[in-house]
Amino acid sequence: MSDTPLIFADNNATTPVAPEVVAAMQPFFGPEFFNPSSMYEPALKVAGALKAARQTVAAFLGGVEPSEVLFTSCATESNNAALFGVAAANPKRKHVVTSAVEHPAVLEVCRELQRRGHDVTILPVDRQGRIATADYVRALRPDTLLVTLMHANNETGVVWPVGDWARIAKETDPGIVFHTDATQTAGKLPLDLVGELAHVDLLSFSGHKMHAPKGVGVLYVSRGTPLRPYLLGGHQEAGRRGGTENVPYVVGLARACELAKEHAPDMVRIGKLRDWLEEEILRTVPYVEINGRGVDRMPNTLNMACHFIEGESILYELNGYGICASTGSACSSGSLEPSHVLKAMGVPFTAMHGSVRLSFSAYTTEAEVKRIAEIFPKVVANLRNMSPYWDQKRNCPRENA
Amino acid sequence: MAWEYSEKTKRIFMDAVQGKPGTHLGEIENADGVGQHGSIVCGDALKFTFRVEKNADPLRDVIVEAKYLTFGCTSAIAASEALCALIEGHGLTPIQALKIQNKDIVDFLEGLPQQKIHCSVMGAEALEAAVADWAKKRGVDLAAQGVKLTGETAEDDGRVVCKCFGITEPYLRRKIKELNLRTLDDIVSALKAGGMCGACRYAPGGLQDILNETWGTGEPAPTTVAAEPVAEAGPSPFQLYRKIEKVIDETVRPVLKGDGGDIELVDIKEWKVYCALRGMCAGCMGASRTLQLIVERTLKDQVDERIQVIPV
Repeated sequence: MSDTPLIFADNNATTPVAPEVVAAMQPFFGPEFFNPSSMYEPALKVAGALKAARQTVAAFLGGVEPSEVLFTSCATESNNAALFGVAAANPKRKHVVTSAVEHPAVLEVCRELQRRGHDVTILPVDRQGRIATADYVRALRPDTLLVTLMHANNETGVVWPVGDWARIAKETDPGIVFHTDATQTAGKLPLDLVGELAHVDLLSFSGHKMHAPKGVGVLYVSRGTPLRPYLLGGHQEAGRRGGTENVPYVVGLARACELAKEHAPDMVRIGKLRDWLEEEILRTVPYVEINGRGVDRMPNTLNMACHFIEGESILYELNGYGICASTGSACSSGSLEPSHVLKAMGVPFTAMHGSVRLSFSAYTTEAEVKRIAEIFPKVVANLRNMSPYWDQKRNCPRENA
Repeated sequence: MAWEYSEKTKRIFMDAVQGKPGTHLGEIENADGVGQHGSIVCGDALKFTFRVEKNADPLRDVIVEAKYLTFGCTSAIAASEALCALIEGHGLTPIQALKIQNKDIVDFLEGLPQQKIHCSVMGAEALEAAVADWAKKRGVDLAAQGVKLTGETAEDDGRVVCKCFGITEPYLRRKIKELNLRTLDDIVSALKAGGMCGACRYAPGGLQDILNETWGTGEPAPTTVAAEPVAEAGPSPFQLYRKIEKVIDETVRPVLKGDGGDIELVDIKEWKVYCALRGMCAGCMGASRTLQLIVERTLKDQVDERIQVIPV
């Protein structure tokens, strides 16, 4: 196995750090180690790098004000800061709207708000992972404090029209704050917070899903959004997030934002490869369902549910071929519970445990995708040969399965 | 973030600290005007003194020397120096000197970072206090001269809440009650506090907290009471929905269908009508905006002026 070339197809979990990003960060581990808040001349250069990084991220978000960009340690922190911060700043409103398929970094915060006395509406999704507009409109109430709905789902890649939903919320009641977790879309789809997403008040994303390292994130806070600081401390980030700025990582994130623009054509290429692989697998593997097929979806994500076999064993076998994939969200892999996302989508129980997610990046090659197309049907066939629910002779499920 | 000072600010600071000739660090003994502003608690404090060439008519006294003692940061010291430079040797009477505003100090320094503007405010306030002191000593009735002092001497000893404008907590608390300021917007328009960087709005101990402590966090006094009888006199929700549906079915939809489009009523909340515009019109931003306005106008005319159409 050691001489098998690695095929990394788990980019929704994390991404390799781009060499350009590493190079951009390097000086700040060496001669440019200063605290950007310090007064002496050498520190001013570091403060300048921080300022430039903030401007780059502001431009990456469609040309927002640099002061609207807050640097955090990860998307989970951004989500916590957004949700708890909005709740603390608006004690009079007690209703939160979210969805059944959010990442735990939003869902668990919503559950905590519920324990603290908030009323939380969890919107259901259909088999394709979509929310019915009528459900969304009905959920908005006169006491609605916050709407938090993700831009794209980490497991299925299904993209939601959060720009429209934010507008509907604002036209219903300008007092409603709209938050979106854009961790999966940042760097892959355009995030235009002065255009399509102009009504979004708060947006979270992290660096390590877009070829920056782990440990850095962003919270975009539209000017005027009522938000109580969550991490109290020094004057950093204009008092909205204490703690000495993580300059090397922030600089790396900014470099990754620049690279994302250069990678835009790759996303089109990746989308075509994904579509080809999807058709190929549907052609060669019986009893497989594509989750999120036919709806607006991230170009890099392919989530499949294979009936009658178990996801972990699929991963294990793929691993033997050097292919890195995941079954549902990496975050839910600690428990034996099947993915809450697939459950909410109503994926049949027999297939839920056999879900596999492949997620590509700008660095994925055509040869890699072809290799997956070659290996994957073999892996599924092998496991089905061992499955008590599979009729090996007729190559279909047993009658009593 | 380290502060970015103008070259002139840095130079003035360095000159003052090194006591170069022509700088104004110090205190005039038996000064004709003494003014103080700020306190150690605030992080910066300024003692400003000036000497006049006395005239038989005190109103013709001319400031000939100005000095300061400043406890504070680079910009506080530079602003103090700037104040003295603006006042000394220009043949100004104390009352004329009052025309110097914090803005003049900022201009003299070729700009100050936003968060440091309060340093220039401090200079202007200390000047005002010194002129008041001079007037008292010389028996000049400033009010009779048409001079209105704005300084809040006692209340300046307090925690600075809005750092951009150097506005203190006691001052805020008094003004919030005096002017019946109920919201952050009220405060910004009346006092400027929170109007620049906005960081003090929701910070712990910030403007929203002070508002909550002053007025309580309960529901504000109901100001919409008057609206209810009107609503009672209007149609019931059921009647309203029927009416809206009827207008959409009989007037709006046939028109849209004529152009290959359609409309679907998704929900109605109070006066907000949510509808999906389908068919030919869907997907065209310009067309759907126009359609929204046409549908809204029709419903306003035929059902109620308060109706708002929200496309979904």
